Order: sequence, then C-alpha cells, then structure tokens
Amino acid sequence: MIATLFLLAFMQIKVPDAAQFVGAPQGTPLTGPQLERRTMEISSELRCPVCQGLAIGDSPSIMAANMKAQVRELLERGYTEAQILSYFEKSYGQFVLLKPKFQGVNALVWILPILALAAGFLLVVTKAKKLEIAPVKAAIPEEEPVDDPYLARVREMVDKP
Amino acid sequence: MNKTVLIIGVVIVAVIVFVLFGGLGKDPQHIDSPLIGKPAPPFALKAVGTGETIDLESLRGKPVIVNFWATWCVPCYEEHPTLVANARNLPNVQFVGVVFNDTEDKILRFLAERGAAYPTLIDANGKTAIAYGVGGVPETYFINPAGKIVAKFEGPLSTELLEENLAKAMK
Repeated sequence: MIATLFLLAFMQIKVPDAAQFVGAPQGTPLTGPQLERRTMEISSELRCPVCQGLAIGDSPSIMAANMKAQVRELLERGYTEAQILSYFEKSYGQFVLLKPKFQGVNALVWILPILALAAGFLLVVTKAKKLEIAPVKAAIPEEEPVDDPYLARVREMVDKP
Repeated sequence: MNKTVLIIGVVIVAVIVFVLFGGLGKDPQHIDSPLIGKPAPPFALKAVGTGETIDLESLRGKPVIVNFWATWCVPCYEEHPTLVANARNLPNVQFVGVVFNDTEDKILRFLAERGAAYPTLIDANGKTAIAYGVGGVPETYFINPAGKIVAKFEGPLSTELLEENLAKAMK
C-alpha cells in the first residue's frame, strides 16, 4: 500500500482536482461503513461510460472501478452527493447521470409517464361513466317469431297450465 | 374505433418512431463532451522512460494533442503508427500520450517495439482520464494554443481525421 502510494506520488505531480470544477467540499468527511454505503449509493447513480446502461457500482470495467474509487475519495474529503454528481457531469455531460435531470428535453422523461397515466385514468373514468348512464340491455334476446314447428310445439306444451 | 383515440394513438406512435429514428446510425458509446470550448483540465505527469515531468500549462502557445491510450487496447496498436508519423511531421504541434491502468514496463516495451516520437505519461489511477471525460481508449483531445479543448475524437485516428480535428486547434 505504502509502495503504491509512493509510486502514485512519484508518477503524478499534479492531476485535475474536483476543487477546480466544483469548489471546496461542502459536506462532512465520511469514514467507515457510512463511507462504503454512500459510495455504493452514489455509484449506483453514475453511468459506466464503457458499458451498456450499467452503473459504475455494478460494472467490472477498469474505468468504472477508477470512477468508483474517485467517488469514495471525494466522500472521504467531505464532498456532497450534489458536488460529486456535478463533478462527473462537468466531464462527461448529463450522459453520466443515470437519473436524468428535470431540464430541457430530459424533462419529458419525467412528464410523459405522468401524462400517459393521467390520460389512461381519464379514459377509464369516461368509459365507466358512459356504462353507468347507458341502460343495461337484457341479456336474453327478445323473443322472435319462430317458424320451427318442433319448437312451437315445445313452447305450447310448456305454456299449457 | 373512436376517431379521437385513433388520432392520439397515431400521434404517440409517430413521436416514438421519430425519437427512435433520430438515434439510428449514432454510436451508443459516443459521448458529446461538455469540455469542448472550455479550458483543458490541467495536469503534470511524469513521462515513462525519461522521468521528465510534463506540465500541460507549460505547453501553452502551441496546439496540443492529448491521446489517451493503453497497451491492453487493441485499436491503440492500429492508431500508434499514425500518431508517431504525424508527430514527426508536425514539429509545431505537441503530441502527448496519456496511459492509464497500465504498467511502465509494458508501455516501454510497446514503445520500443513500435516507436516513440513524443512523451508518454502515466495516469496511474485514471484521474486525468476521468477529468477529461474519457469513456474508452483510444480517445484524443485537441487543445488550441490558448489551452482550450476544441475537439474530441473517439477511436483510432487516421491522418485525415487527425488533420481535420487539428485544423480546429490551429484557428
């Protein structure tokens, strides 16, 4: 571990830092189980850029592992969820957010299902009202004159007191 | 069938078909970079082999081509000769290779076998790649003399594509 840190320090003099993109941390630095839980939660909100619709938390790819490690590090430093998501969004765009923002064309993703549900509900209510108003037709069809002599005879027998 | 219901159905299907057709022919892996037109995220990384520190800030004043690659990336093998040849032909353009999730010995072997004409830097934990929004390798960023990202190219570059993107950085 110490050797790895030393190697990283040796190889990387300066790497882009989240502070340059989203400013100083605005939350509380996390540690222990809370850090692990929040890392998994935020990782489930970020799309893996090399996968097909997978969150970085669910992807085995190297890129996703790097991104997840960065989420963990930012939480350790006290960055909030909003700051972390914003940091990744500044590099990858809204593509990286698995939960699209309520903004521009993306707002349709949120609005359309609600509209469709409301339209369906209205349709059902309208149909139900029509059914209430319309008289229920007799299930048994009205008697029609029958030419069948056999049937006429049966009826005559049934009707006989 | 109720005419209104039919019209609503047709409109909904038309919208869905329009949206789906809009996505046809597009690469699902392609990510439009929000960094285009913005200052390139600064970095200073050590070059493999020489140990020299290359600071992006120090390259201001000339176009810079930052190519993210790795020895485990097959298209990078295909692209490498193009980058080396162009780096030799374009002395006024600074080429920089950034390798992530790789080892120095593998990179040195790769460069010894296939040639090297510009510094190759190690991005050990991929932080630089993440700051640039790299989705996969190879991926190349074209930075103008003022230090702004003007183009991003995903996949192996050909000389034509390199020149086309470099032209934006020369303006």
